Order: sequence, then structure tokens, then C-alpha cells
Amino acid sequence: MKQRLLLVLSILLSFTLITAACGDDESTDTADPVDNGDSGDSGDGGDGGDDGDGDGDECSRTGTVAAPVKPDDTTSEVDASGVTAAFVYLTDPGDAGWTWAHNRGAEQAAAATGATLLTVDNIAEGSPEFEQSVRDFIADGANAVFATSFGYMDAMETLSGEFPDVDFFHATGFKANDTNFGNYFGRVYQARYLTGLAAGAASASGNIGYVAAFPIPEVIRGINAFTLGVREANPDATVTVNWTSTWFDPAVEGEAAQALLDGGADVLAMHQDSTAAGERAEAACARWVSYNSDMSEFAPNAYLASAIWNWGAYYADAIESVADGSFAGGGNWPGMETGLVQIGSLADDVSDATRTLIDERSAAMIDGSWDPFTGPINDQDGNLVIADGDVPPDFGADEEGRSLLDQNWFVEGVIGSAGG
Amino acid sequence: MKKLVLVRRETPTRGGQPAAFVAGFILALGLGAILLLISGDPVWEVYTRMFERSLGSKDVMSATLNRATPLALAGLAVSIAATMGLWNIGAEGQILFGATAATFVGRIGEDWSGPVLIIAMLLGGAIGGALWAAGPGLVRAELGVSEIITTLMLNEVALRLIRYLQNGRWKDPEGLLFPVIEPRPVQSGLGTIWERAHLGVVIAFAVVAAFAWFAKHSVWGYELKIAGASPKTAAYAGISMRRKVLGVMVLSGAVAGLAGGIELTGTATRLDVNISSGFGFAGIIVAALALMRPSGVAVVALLFGAVQVGGISIQSIGVSSAVSGVLQALILFGAIGAGVLSSYRVQAVERKVVAT
Repeated sequence: MKQRLLLVLSILLSFTLITAACGDDESTDTADPVDNGDSGDSGDGGDGGDDGDGDGDECSRTGTVAAPVKPDDTTSEVDASGVTAAFVYLTDPGDAGWTWAHNRGAEQAAAATGATLLTVDNIAEGSPEFEQSVRDFIADGANAVFATSFGYMDAMETLSGEFPDVDFFHATGFKANDTNFGNYFGRVYQARYLTGLAAGAASASGNIGYVAAFPIPEVIRGINAFTLGVREANPDATVTVNWTSTWFDPAVEGEAAQALLDGGADVLAMHQDSTAAGERAEAACARWVSYNSDMSEFAPNAYLASAIWNWGAYYADAIESVADGSFAGGGNWPGMETGLVQIGSLADDVSDATRTLIDERSAAMIDGSWDPFTGPINDQDGNLVIADGDVPPDFGADEEGRSLLDQNWFVEGVIGSAGG
Repeated sequence: MKKLVLVRRETPTRGGQPAAFVAGFILALGLGAILLLISGDPVWEVYTRMFERSLGSKDVMSATLNRATPLALAGLAVSIAATMGLWNIGAEGQILFGATAATFVGRIGEDWSGPVLIIAMLLGGAIGGALWAAGPGLVRAELGVSEIITTLMLNEVALRLIRYLQNGRWKDPEGLLFPVIEPRPVQSGLGTIWERAHLGVVIAFAVVAAFAWFAKHSVWGYELKIAGASPKTAAYAGISMRRKVLGVMVLSGAVAGLAGGIELTGTATRLDVNISSGFGFAGIIVAALALMRPSGVAVVALLFGAVQVGGISIQSIGVSSAVSGVLQALILFGAIGAGVLSSYRVQAVERKVVAT
């Protein structure tokens, strides 16, 4: 009996440790990327630094990066000191990534508007903890609730019905009402397209890898926009997709990145919240496009460009709409014109021609004259899906799922299955 | 040389467990205060908030009752198995599979009326949990395979099954391809009975009370106790160990599966991998705190629920989830330690000198 108790306790203990390790929110891969890089790199040994090939030069370049394309402009004229804004996060904000970007925006917006900011993190999706945290916030006087993960949607809907005097903002979902519950997200695919231009120009082999999260429209849209940019700059290049089915798992994401590098990719893009892909690219002398936030400091040589979120201005507007009572639920999907999504800093070796192209396309998206999904666009099998000059609608998919929010097919140049 | 050992007290301490509990609780709060001082959190504010937000008003007390419901059932599941000396480490998987089975019933009966559907879904949950525990029970009874390992491993299988259903068969067609399962039918929600407390609270505590009564007053309960204490005596008395082992595991699984059904219909809107919040693992601690006695499970689950609800509430005033977790563990551990010390005492004994 005693031995069995010991076994039970040791199993419990090890489970607790495993759970703790899995829930670790450090946004960096703790595995040693150099070891893995070497094992995956057969031709280029430790003494191959002076053989004069292109990879060697690229790998040894100095890692300074240019200033951000667009500065932050979180300002507010409205006094929103009567607003208490509560934010619920899936993970610890950490040093980079999705939650970090939201938290930074929330802090900027609170500072600009005078609103009171409350936050809680490590709240699992679909768990009873979410509802309890929101109720705690409302009891503390919160009159605006921001939930930044998809799985909070059902509970947000229920709570918005129960608390009509509180405004509910849900990121990445699709439910809303026309009084106090709205969803919001941004057209980050526009920034992805711009990073694709840089990636296409930087790829010598034309083999680009994409460490993808889950096969859902948001991720698929990002891959497609990125690929459209890649092929604009480098028409024969392909983008190979490797699904991880994770949002944050440095070990899995690092392995997926390594597989793409071993397959000959010289540029990587990714969707998840860790810097694992960047660290593998750094070790393999490849290049890397980061997402969510500018992660140049995590892989200074590999870093090429990033598609980033700048939530400060959006959250300031949202808090103002609570303060003046103008918020009325509904869906909100702004793009580059608001500065919510943008391209982060560019590596210093990005050519002037590419910079000019990025600036041109950026300007066209900001003034609304052009979108990356302007036809003609072929699908993976070469069928024309979006006719010349057409831009698919945001909502209301036709039979083929051609609306942007329902996108479930890959454009020409993507290698992999959109089904996951 | 002396060493310290635990010796069972011949007579329980005066005041017994309640006094020990209070002492352990106060000691834990003291240790927790040191922790909070180190982490830079306001000690008094944290403790008052933990109390106010778990037991301070009717509204939060009803939330604590809801939280205690799956904890009580999971704790009961573990202690049922423990009466036979079996360790059901798989309550988590049984909760998950119970919720999965209840979802399956909900999909079949989406046109049924609310009360019929709810009863069917709760039964489905219990049957699902029973099936999930039947395998480990069977191989334990017939082949002597450790139920600790098999029940533990099936937790992961149940989790993966939900992941599979999320991404495939049961994916919500209105979910914009997000990996979520279709919501359960709207009429399958358990009604509330007091503030936010749902009907599942009554069901859970009725099940706990019923088992506690049967364990004490029925022949079946007596046989279980004999079989758990001494298998040889039981065999001599003509009790079939095989059948008892299987029966106890199935019953244990059914109770955990019922918790899954109650969580689905009481607090959740759809099946999800996070539907359990670790209740199955917490149930092991609940059962241990209750000294594996079904009668103690309800009380411990209420305390546990209050500590968890209070623990979440302090995170929203800036206490990190890690500090909150340690604080919750300290309070519960303080109570366990005190419980042990009320029945045992620490004694210094001479080390035996080995003769050469």
C-alpha cells in the first residue's frame, strides 16, 4: 500500500511538473538551437566559415535593423477616466508575441485615455475560470471587457446578455450583438503580404518554409497573402507549409522549422507565439519573418521583416467609444489604414528596390486603392479563383468559400494542404 | 543518533481534526503571507479578497458551490476506488469522456425536450465514465495490471479524442473552420436553483450522500471494506475479488463521468479540451484530504472550491497565477498536514545499531 502511494505521488508530481513546463510562457525556446542546427546541416561543418559561399556571408552579417516603418501614434483627446477596461489574456504577456502586443496596446491606450486598466493572464479557453475572472472584474467596477482569444467567445456572449451596462470586445471571434458585444480583429494579412515581398527577394533558392499554426481561415489567409507577396518579388518561388497544431509550443515549432530548413528552405515565416523558428533559422544561416511583434532581437542575423500588431490606437478608440457611449457592438476588421497592422523593422540588407515596392504597396493599402487579394488569383491547382480586378468580400462566402473571413484554400505557389 | 518517525496516536488529540485543521490553516496563511511579501503583493488585501470573492456573498457562494460540484464527484470517484485499495488516477479522463458521451447523446437528442434530454445526457456522461474505467478495471481484475498506469494513460487518450472531434467529426460548421465542437442543444442547460448555483450541485451532493450511506449501512459497503482491508479475509468469506474490483472501478468511473455531464450541461456551452480544469487530478487531493472517506469528500470539496475560486479572484488584482497556485497549495497542504498530525505524532527514536 505504501509503495503504491509513493507511485501515485510520484506520478502526480511528475504530471504537475509537465503541466508547469507546458504552461511556461517564456516566449523563447530554451532548447539549444545550435546543436540542432548543426545536426541538420550536413555540408557546412564548423570549419566551413571561410569557403566564401553566400550562406557564410549572410550568416556573418551584422544584425542591425532599420527603424520601424510607421511610428506609434496612440493619442487621445477624450477623457475616459470613467472607464475601467479589463483585459483577459490566454498567456503571460512575456517578452514578445500575441499577448505581449495586446498588453502593450492596452497600456498605451490606458495611458492615453486616462482609463483604469485591469488584466489577468493564464486563463484557459473554454474553462470556467474565464467567466469567473470577468465577473470579478465587473464586481471591481469594470465597464469594458476585452477578451483576446477565440475560445472565450461563448462566455462573452452569455455575459454580455447578463450585464447590459458593460461593453464586451472579443478578438478573433465572430459573434456580436448590436448593443454591447462586438468582435474585432485586424487585416494582418496586408502586413503579411509586405513581408512576403521581402522574403521573396531574400530567397536565393526560391524555397521558402512556413511554420503554420492551425488550419483555420486566419492562418490560411496569412499564408496566402505572404505567398502572393513572395511571388510578386520572386515569381518561381514556392512556400512550403508545415502545420504544428499549436499556438505556443517552442519544441514542436522548432522541430517543424528544422524540417523545413532540412528540406532546403532558406527563408522561414511562422504564425505561432514563440521565437523557436527564428532561433532555428539563425542557427542554420537562413532568414526569418516574425509575426505578432518585431522579434529582431531574438535572432538578429536571421531576422528579415515582421508583420506586427499595434493595438494601442485601436484600444484607445475602443475605450473612447465606451466613454462617450457610442459603442454598439458589431464586427470591426480594420487594416493598415488605421496603423493597427503594419510591417515591423526591415533588416538592413533589404534592397532599396524592395523597400520602394513595400512602400508603394503599403501606400496603396492605406489609401484603400488596392488589396493583396485583388484578382487574378489562381488556387494551388492553377484554377482561376478570383477574377481579374475582383476583390473577395469580407463576409458572405459563396459556394467556393471565396470570402476573406472564410478562406479555406491555398493560392498558387503554396505547397501543402489547407486541410491541415 | 536519533531519527524522526510518525507514530499513530493511541488517543486522538483533544478537539481532534477540527482543531488541527484550524491550526494548519493559520500556519498556511502565515507561510502564504511570507510568500506574498516576497512577491510584493499586499497580504491583507489578497486574503480579504480571497475570502470575499469565494464566501463573502450569496453570488460568490453559489459560484463556489458550482466549483465544488465536479471536485466533490471527482473526489468521491477516487475514494470509491480507494475503499478497495485501488487508485483511480483517471478521473480526469473519465470526466472528459463522460462529457464527450453526454455531447454524443445531445447530438442524437437535439430535438428532445429539455428535461428528457438533460437526464439522458447526464446518464450518458455516467455511462461514458463507467466505460472509460471499465477497461482498467477489467485488466486489473483478470490480469492484475496496475490500474494506476492504465487509468492515467487513458486521460491522455480522452483528451486526444476531443481534439480529434474538434478538428473533424464534430467541428462546428458555423465556427469559421475554428477547431471547436458544435454547441450542445440550448434546451440542455441545467437550470439554476439558488443565485448562480445550478441543479448539478444538488445532484452531486445527493450522489455523495447516497454513497456515504451505502458504504456505511449496506452489506455491499461492508464487503468493500473487508475486501479493501484484507483480500484474503474477503476470499475466505466468499467475496469475489474480481467482480468487486471491476464493479468498484466502473462505479468510480461513472461518478467521474457524471461530473463531466454536469460540467457540460451546467457551466459549459460546448465540449472543449478545457472543460475539466483539472478536476480529475484535484479529485485525488480532495479524496486524500478527506482521508479517503466518502463522508468527508463533500466538506473538503467545498473548502477546495472556495480556495480555487478565491485563488482565481486574486489573479485579477495582479497576483501572478504562479503565486496564486502556490498559495492555494499551501492552504490545502496546511490542512492535510494538520489532518495527519491529529492522528499521528512525530517521535524521535534511536537509530538501531546494527551488530557486527
